[in-house]
Amino acid sequence: MPSRNRTALAAILLLAGWLAAGGCTDGSGPSGQRGPAAEPDQKVYTVGISQCNRNEPWRVQMDADIEAAAKEHPQLKVVFKDAQNDELRQRAHVEEFVSAGVDLIIISPKEAAPLTEPVAQAVAAGVPVIVLDRAVLGDRYTAFIGADNKKIGKAAGLWLVKKLSGKGKVVELKGLMTSTPGQDRHSGFREGIAASGLEVIFQADMKWLEPDARKEMDSALARFDRIDAVYAHNDPGAHGAYLAAQSAGRETEMVFVGIDALPHEGIAYVKQGILDATFQYPTGGKEAIGMALKILAGEEVPKKVVLGSRLFSKDNVAAGGEPLE
Amino acid sequence: MISRVLRFLASPAGRALIALGLVLLLGLVFHADGAFYKFGTHRDAIRQASVCGILACGMTLVIITAGIDLAVGSILGLTGVCFALITIHWGWPAWQAIPAALAVGAACGAVAGILTAGAGIQPFIATLAMMVFARGLAKWASEGKKISQAVTDPDGSIRFVDIPRIFEWIDSRLLGGTVSGVTLVFLVCVAVTWILLARHRWGRQLYAIGGNEEAARLSGVPVVRAKTMAYVASGLLAAVAGICHAAQARQGDPEAGATYELTAIAMVVIGGTSLIGGRGGVGLTLLGTLTIGYLDKILSINAVEESGRLMLTGAIIVIAVLTQRRR
Repeated sequence: MPSRNRTALAAILLLAGWLAAGGCTDGSGPSGQRGPAAEPDQKVYTVGISQCNRNEPWRVQMDADIEAAAKEHPQLKVVFKDAQNDELRQRAHVEEFVSAGVDLIIISPKEAAPLTEPVAQAVAAGVPVIVLDRAVLGDRYTAFIGADNKKIGKAAGLWLVKKLSGKGKVVELKGLMTSTPGQDRHSGFREGIAASGLEVIFQADMKWLEPDARKEMDSALARFDRIDAVYAHNDPGAHGAYLAAQSAGRETEMVFVGIDALPHEGIAYVKQGILDATFQYPTGGKEAIGMALKILAGEEVPKKVVLGSRLFSKDNVAAGGEPLE
Repeated sequence: MISRVLRFLASPAGRALIALGLVLLLGLVFHADGAFYKFGTHRDAIRQASVCGILACGMTLVIITAGIDLAVGSILGLTGVCFALITIHWGWPAWQAIPAALAVGAACGAVAGILTAGAGIQPFIATLAMMVFARGLAKWASEGKKISQAVTDPDGSIRFVDIPRIFEWIDSRLLGGTVSGVTLVFLVCVAVTWILLARHRWGRQLYAIGGNEEAARLSGVPVVRAKTMAYVASGLLAAVAGICHAAQARQGDPEAGATYELTAIAMVVIGGTSLIGGRGGVGLTLLGTLTIGYLDKILSINAVEESGRLMLTGAIIVIAVLTQRRR
């Protein structure tokens, strides 16, 4: 039936075009926001923000932090683009920002290698680029802001050593081990507990996913009659582990520690008494806007800024956590 | 007697049982310090497989018509978000929230079904489009965030609301702690699907369509209606799975259920339902669900590395399907 074939072909073409144009409804297109009305004599700067994947809650928070910080400065206009976890789409976004003549670019790159060249070309074209969270290769960018996952992992390890008085059996629920944050949070933690009597009796890759964390924790609970602590590489993982322990009636037996400390996730879990501690992995959104203002005003800025982390535990969560040195 | 046993083992159900038996044998050998012999391990293995098993029930209906439904994972995510939003944030009672979430799933299934059966778009394409669309809808409805007890007020502060009782009921253990609520829901879905397929006219129509659509049409089967209803049922069951998933996670996650459709397809195929259509049944899917669920659990209690898990799962799917081949 040729007509049937034509219908099918048309549908495929339509679909292909739609997918190529950005797929889902959560907008890959630019969504500009203007802050409070600018003073008439003040120049308005446009800042392009290239986010690699707005599907992750942590990156949604980063965009929210950038937006909130930019709102306080009427001379800034921010334009967000979401690459939906596609490095080539992100590359195109950087090139679009340059040809649109933005005054500054903030990029949180998906991958170092494919985005190094577009960032360098933007800088060469006279557009300053602030790289957030993940680095690019070499030094052809204006400034880098990021946190140190290894340091945070180590701090979590040291905190657990203190909490358990130097001895105990630990379950480690790892983030995706092919990603650098997963690797660093793992190696940092092992460094932190190395000199102590803490022993990792069970470890599994839960790929940052809460249902997987719950599944792996079920197995750990079935296998070991005593578990003193759970260290998960992110807060949803620790929450999943808590639900597993709760359904086995063993949630009071152990300490739960997570990482990221987003206001509506980790910090909320600590406030509810689900997690014992969470370590903030800062988004740097506010710092990026502060640095952007300095660059636009022609001031000198440091090439690399490493953000500090905060510890939120039962004792200090009401007071807003405490900084880690 | 022996010949009857042999004849049973050569039937699709017998072969599916052999595959399940082989996986269970694996567990008896690699029992992880006796963890496999504990009752709780088995209860948890079946509970974890239940959500995908519910998807697999709907998938069985669609696959029997020689179709495929790639949208179920996304519909699970969408209905989970809807259910969490309606119950946790809007505070609707469960008896209103559950039908509302089911209606969303059935509507998604109906659109995919009409596109396939009515407009003649290939099922792969129509449900692929629905898969992408429903995921987008889930993200739009949730504003990209997980719908949980922590509610963000307009001024940016966070307050906590109580989790509705229905979440705990679905996730609780029943019958003296021997079976989880989700597993009971799954078994009810299997039973209802089985009755529809084996005892109802609609079920026979689905087999006829899968066997030879043109012949079914000529012999008076309402092909468009029966086929559309298969996708509606699949969407409806995906909504049931979405509610169960949200209840277990205590939140509605717009990312939930990604790649679950593939697990559901694997469960159906390992059971012995043919992708060509017209052959199979939901009893086989139950066995396939248990096979995949136990395999997952055995790899998990032994803390096998992720790389090894993926390779082993792939290899065992091939072995299981090979034992299903008609000789």
